[in-house]
Amino acid sequence: MTTDTDLEAEIQRLLTEHDRIAEQGITVQRRDHLIVLGGEVESAQRRDEICKQISTHFPDVQITCDIGITRAQAPSEVEEIS
Amino acid sequence: MIRIAAVGDVHVDKDVVGRYRPALEELPDQADALLVAGDLTRHGTPEEARCFAKEFGGLAVPVVVVLGNHDHQSDQQEQVTEVLTDAGITVLEGAATVLEIRGHRLGIAGTKGFGGGFAGACASNFGEREMKDFVGTTERFATVLENALNSVECDALVALTHYAPVPETLVGEPLEIYAFLGSYQLGRAIDAAPTALALHGHAHHGSERGRTPGGVPVRNVAHPVIKQAYNVYQLLSDEVDATLATAR
Repeated sequence: MTTDTDLEAEIQRLLTEHDRIAEQGITVQRRDHLIVLGGEVESAQRRDEICKQISTHFPDVQITCDIGITRAQAPSEVEEIS
Repeated sequence: MIRIAAVGDVHVDKDVVGRYRPALEELPDQADALLVAGDLTRHGTPEEARCFAKEFGGLAVPVVVVLGNHDHQSDQQEQVTEVLTDAGITVLEGAATVLEIRGHRLGIAGTKGFGGGFAGACASNFGEREMKDFVGTTERFATVLENALNSVECDALVALTHYAPVPETLVGEPLEIYAFLGSYQLGRAIDAAPTALALHGHAHHGSERGRTPGGVPVRNVAHPVIKQAYNVYQLLSDEVDATLATAR
């Protein structure tokens, strides 16, 4: 049985080790009875898969997804290294 | 003047193909080379490597990469390297390459690197076999980086790793995992050569800027940190010739 203390760790491991996710950059924070997910991923499909897998593996956990999609536009500035 | 573009942790798979390409097509107007600091793929499969090659290959500038921990997940790093190399992408692991750019020699030495921690909170080569293997791996990667950095003669030398060489660029990550994000030994290797710039990824929640104890600028170019397709860094600015500066 997963205890409250272990829950965040269990979710972190699921996000890293699940074949369809493999994300190490997602933050998992508990707020009262809610788990808030943060960070950024490369596509909307990846974000949706994260939420789907957490809901499947932890059906009693209420999650809020604040995961963003990392922007991929060209830069407008150059940094001079000295 | 040399301009290099850099990004890391792009984690390409089928769902990402096409996202970067519009920005990458602008590269010839922005930079002379593109460096990618590991985690090119999600699981390190040849199929994902082909997706990376499709997205990041065939550009009008040279592309130089190191692999990251994700690229080792399927234990197929050799096949991944072969796919990338066949696509014209230079893959560095304990090796260096020199690019001739408008009369200047840009040296790039690269390795994946490994964890181990930093001053005051680092692992030691002592105790259980597993711990000695862990730290021994760190030492091995640091040694090959130092040797690679010192193997080239060039006008500007860049160190390219996946793991971080300094803790400053990890600020924002939980302190408890610093030892899994980088090692001071990589920083020491960078300081043992005339390195002009060190680039790394891996730390998605880290910070962009730092310096080694020896003063070498360090940039964390993990995609979630820089929040754009790539950053552009200008080296050898003192030697700039006005006619060359506008060449691109």
